[in-house]
Amino acid sequence: MSEPLFVFRGIEKSFAKNKILRKVDLFLYPAKCILLSGKNGSGKTTLLKIVAGLEKPAEAEIEYSGKSLSWKKAIRNILKEIIYLHQQPLLFSGSVESNVAYGLRFTSLNRKQRRESVIKALEWSGLTDLANIQANTLSGGVQQRVAFTRAWILKPKVLLLDEPMSNMDHESREQARLLLCRMKSAGMSIVITSHVPQYFDGLTDVQFHLSNGQLAESKFSASNDSL
Amino acid sequence: MNGLLLTTQQALQLLLSGDAELWSIVLLSFSVSLKAILLTTPLALLVAFALNHVNFPGRRIILAFFNSLLSVPTVVIGLFLYVLLTRQGPFGNLRLLFTQSAIVIGQMILCFPVLVALGYAAIQASDRRVWETARTLGAPTWFSILTVFYEVRFGLLAAVLTGFGRIISEVGISMMVGGNIMGYTRNITTAIALETSKGEFAQGIALGMVLLSLAFLLTAFLSYIQGKKEFTT
Repeated sequence: MSEPLFVFRGIEKSFAKNKILRKVDLFLYPAKCILLSGKNGSGKTTLLKIVAGLEKPAEAEIEYSGKSLSWKKAIRNILKEIIYLHQQPLLFSGSVESNVAYGLRFTSLNRKQRRESVIKALEWSGLTDLANIQANTLSGGVQQRVAFTRAWILKPKVLLLDEPMSNMDHESREQARLLLCRMKSAGMSIVITSHVPQYFDGLTDVQFHLSNGQLAESKFSASNDSL
Repeated sequence: MNGLLLTTQQALQLLLSGDAELWSIVLLSFSVSLKAILLTTPLALLVAFALNHVNFPGRRIILAFFNSLLSVPTVVIGLFLYVLLTRQGPFGNLRLLFTQSAIVIGQMILCFPVLVALGYAAIQASDRRVWETARTLGAPTWFSILTVFYEVRFGLLAAVLTGFGRIISEVGISMMVGGNIMGYTRNITTAIALETSKGEFAQGIALGMVLLSLAFLLTAFLSYIQGKKEFTT
């Protein structure tokens, strides 16, 4: 197995006096998909938000590309390399195209390159026809695809998805699964939380269960990188 | 009744004839209050944002303090500023008393808590995911703040318009630290007070009409914004 991109060791987090995460370790490898399961309120979302740099842990040791970093130093790499997608994606006011292009303005691409990237990304996700539609008027499934595309265009090394298929019909789920398989094939490390592991058959490499603030490996499934 | 009708007719004539004195007072009012609102808005909205998004001890107390300042009488702010700016006061050497700058400062103090409290309410109504999405997509802190502001722009605009309405219609500060000097610090409200005390009701009513029209316009615009906000959410 190749070297992990990020290693999070001993993550601890409490809300008030309630300890949500106790010494949780997480290793993120390129082109691997982790499925996280657990009851509502078990801390799955909190764990993903800590890994995404959106919540500060009480304690955590972070390694990036083999180097041990403090939280303050790691946060820069985390925000650059890891993208978190909410259970219900938040699309900004404006068109699908402007949403997809949002993160590109913080890259080194010039205007022309950004435009080309957006066109390519919209084609990749089959959203070209919807490019000029107001993003927040779309159905839940299509909004999730816009959110995937907005993340994919930035080529993050790690993608964190919180219950990505909870509000989708069968067709939207299949489309989303196909996009995720393509992302994984492109080398992205993917972490998904879900109550329904079957949605991700063929995509998941390892499954963890979060209970009482601790992470336990619950099942291995065959990797399917053919897509 | 006839007297009131006659005075209103004279007031309308003054307004429509483009009376130079009257319109210079209107212009001065707008100029001073626009400066005050433009100078206050950026800092007040940043404070509102920080109160929403940054966890620090005393946050609730600061918010309660700004909320309590919403009902402070304008003459109290005028008095407070007068004491500071008078020759014997700590800032007397700046020679700001009875200047437009003094009115601007007073109006800034008046509208700051309005903008913070209403800005806070607007930002609080926004979705926390806006900030998180902007950050995770690589936006730097300043751009993420602008993104949040853009997503709640109608609420923030309503806060700014309310603040502007509050300062352009205040009289206490303008009277106490402006001094009501013709052509220099006399604005709509101080002119109304003066003309009424002299028994010159026509100009007072004409200026009152300008203020009332502004109030109606602001209310209509706020309703329009409210409608737009409901439509887009």
